[in-house]
Amino acid sequence: MTGVAPARSRDTGVGLFPIVWMCHRNLTRFARLPAIMVPMVVMPIFFLVVFTSSFDGISRVDGYPTENLINWVVAFALLQGAMFSGVGTAGTVANDLETGFMDRLLASPIRRGIIIAAPLTYTAIRALIPITLVTVLALVMNAELPGGILGIVVAFSGGIGGALVIGCFGLGVVLRMGDVRAMTIVQMTSFLVIFPSIGQVPIALLDGWMEQVARVNPTTNLLRMTRQGYLGDVTWADTWPGLLVIACGIAIFGTWARAELIRRTR
Amino acid sequence: MKPVEAEGLVRTFGDVTAVAGIDLEVAEGEIFGFLGPNGAGKSTTVRMLVTLLRPTAGTARVAGFDVVKEADSVRRLIGVALQDAAIDPLMTGSELLRLQAVLHGLGRRRAADRGSELLERVGLTGAADRRVGTYSGGMRRRLDLALALIHRPAVLFLDEPTTGLDPTSRVAVWEEVRSLNDDGTTVFLTTQYLEEADELAARIAIIDNGVIVREGDPTVLKGQVGDPTLRVEVADETTIELARQVLGAFGDQRPARDGRVAIGLRGGATRLTDVVRALDEQGVPVAHFELDSPSLDDVFADATGRRLEGAET
Amino acid sequence: MTAAQGLRLNRPRLLVGTEQAWTLTVRSVLATARKVDRWAPGLIFPLAMAAVYSSQFAKATGLSEFPEVDSFLQFILPATILQGIAFNASNAGTDMASDIETGFFDRLVASPVARQSIFVGRVGGAAAAAGFQAGVHTAIFVVLGVPIASGVAGVVALMLISIVLSVGISGFGLAVALRTGSTEATQSMFPLIFVMVFVSSAFFPTELMKGWYQSVAERNPFTLVMDPTRQLVISGWSWGHVFEALGYSLLIGLVSLSLAYRAHLRRLRRS
Repeated sequence: MTGVAPARSRDTGVGLFPIVWMCHRNLTRFARLPAIMVPMVVMPIFFLVVFTSSFDGISRVDGYPTENLINWVVAFALLQGAMFSGVGTAGTVANDLETGFMDRLLASPIRRGIIIAAPLTYTAIRALIPITLVTVLALVMNAELPGGILGIVVAFSGGIGGALVIGCFGLGVVLRMGDVRAMTIVQMTSFLVIFPSIGQVPIALLDGWMEQVARVNPTTNLLRMTRQGYLGDVTWADTWPGLLVIACGIAIFGTWARAELIRRTR
Repeated sequence: MKPVEAEGLVRTFGDVTAVAGIDLEVAEGEIFGFLGPNGAGKSTTVRMLVTLLRPTAGTARVAGFDVVKEADSVRRLIGVALQDAAIDPLMTGSELLRLQAVLHGLGRRRAADRGSELLERVGLTGAADRRVGTYSGGMRRRLDLALALIHRPAVLFLDEPTTGLDPTSRVAVWEEVRSLNDDGTTVFLTTQYLEEADELAARIAIIDNGVIVREGDPTVLKGQVGDPTLRVEVADETTIELARQVLGAFGDQRPARDGRVAIGLRGGATRLTDVVRALDEQGVPVAHFELDSPSLDDVFADATGRRLEGAET
Repeated sequence: MTAAQGLRLNRPRLLVGTEQAWTLTVRSVLATARKVDRWAPGLIFPLAMAAVYSSQFAKATGLSEFPEVDSFLQFILPATILQGIAFNASNAGTDMASDIETGFFDRLVASPVARQSIFVGRVGGAAAAAGFQAGVHTAIFVVLGVPIASGVAGVVALMLISIVLSVGISGFGLAVALRTGSTEATQSMFPLIFVMVFVSSAFFPTELMKGWYQSVAERNPFTLVMDPTRQLVISGWSWGHVFEALGYSLLIGLVSLSLAYRAHLRRLRRS
């Protein structure tokens, strides 16, 4: 019989190298399709400027933790921009499913986990754009940063973590449904998890049902972690619940996404 | 060890049975044509053989490995070009080849050499650094073929490789497939084009409603249909029944389009004058008259009682 | 007369044109009604935003610059309607672009249908959907206990303003659709409208904004429509407010529809 014998695992793409190349492909697409770039750049600016300026008066309410609304809103804009990256990655995978590119990956000998890990790596890289943009813009717009460098580190970690959680969730939904229709669910969910939390107003000022929802909404912990450096010192008490949300989110939704990927070949 | 062996392969989707228990054997170094109308179960079968879908029942071995239990080994040894050329329009040809090489674990230098060799082979060297979005349909198919060959697969699966291509591009893909086969690659080719199967395949299987209805050498299969097909189109539709009676004396009826009568003409061309005379004597006005050697369409019609959808005869 | 000569119909052109516009309007409405993903976001998303903001900003109603309202929900009713209109308007443009992409537009142009009917059909569909949606949104708010100070007449005025404003916003979507013939380009219009809704008095009073942003928000056409509309909800009936809201909506419509109609004629010339 012609052809080559099956190569051993170490040289058949079982390593991490394919992740680099699959990310390279997505980043190339990203660079060559400016339309993808526009919402990624415009939306975080929009969130930061509009949420700070439209609702400026809310900081005058008794009990609001800061007089400078941007200190509060920066984490909201940052996380929302980052989560958009996760949504966008799910969209890329949905497109791969529709065009058949996913079949190309599935019919190749790379490990199934890599097919999930590659778009997530891309999500993390892509999320850096809105996170950096919001951080720089916030500082230009006179945001304070008493938490210093550590404050920046937790803010970036919170943003990337949020993007990865939504990315894992988005991959699960997209792989389950198999086409871009799934994106409506992913987009809606990303909105629905971030709004009923402490994005714009602290829990103490929330009214009625939303106060209850915000208390149990995991996004609240993520926002607390991301925001802390803009309000004061970075503390472990404000950090670990956010890290826990990220770890659990990635573990649960990542496992689900992998299971959905394997289900597609059954 | 056969490159492709399947036994009792079944695949159901809910209540729908797409593949209803098929047995297949493809010999080493041959082009095997898998022929059938749209929805017959061709693509489902291929997806099972290339490990993209698990069989509901039955077993299949590709390149000597079980498609379920040893899927990883199968993936290392097959090349796959599926029906929708899944080629990212934003990437260049050479970038896609490099990515495909990485997916198969080829080192940088080997990937570059193999990529250049393949681009030259499929005539895309000049377009290698252009985005695939600017390629024509034929160029995309040829690139898809190159991608499937990057790791020198033992078995190449081509799922409807020329669907949607213009005649010139189709011929170019055929030549490439033939040349690959000459180099020793076993090719499993699905198609809905009779001409394609006839041109390329050394052996074919015809699938209909998830079941293989004929299998073998195309020449032998055509020979089994027997007599050549005589098709008569009457000028006056009211005489079609009469024509059917007259022609019935010359051979068994075969499926035909409305307004036509087709028979397997016993004795072949030597009986033509008798047929013409008989029709004339009975006053059947003839608008069109043709005699064809048995084609794969006749083989399909003989097996299923209808003509192949989209057949190019 | 043979079939090849065509059917000669002795019916008034205006009647035929109106009939065609009506048929195409019904088509637009049915196309929206039959696809859940078309109408559901416009109905649900603004309600979700209202629910979130009424809880987040409830305490802001106590600030001295905040207009006197029964609740934040009462304040935000016009914004909810406006968001619904924006969703519908985006559908009108996208559907038109889709008709162009799929060739349905050419089929209509190739038929003897009155050219204006193609255009009116799309705008009419969006207007009908907006009026209906405004009614549903208002009804939900009323059920939730939000008082409409101007009563039933105010609700009718709200629906009328919604219909006119919807025609105005749809015009921009149609202009892009007819100009570009691309659903993608038309869809990219929607975030722009979304931004304009936010940079207005829709969700928060401009009195509580600051600096340049406040100046922009005060001059935003949506603010000019929202403020008098809101007065109908929170203060009571006033012909002045009705005319003001309708007047600005008509002005928006005049600008957008002129742009859209020019693009429409341009496309017809190319066809």
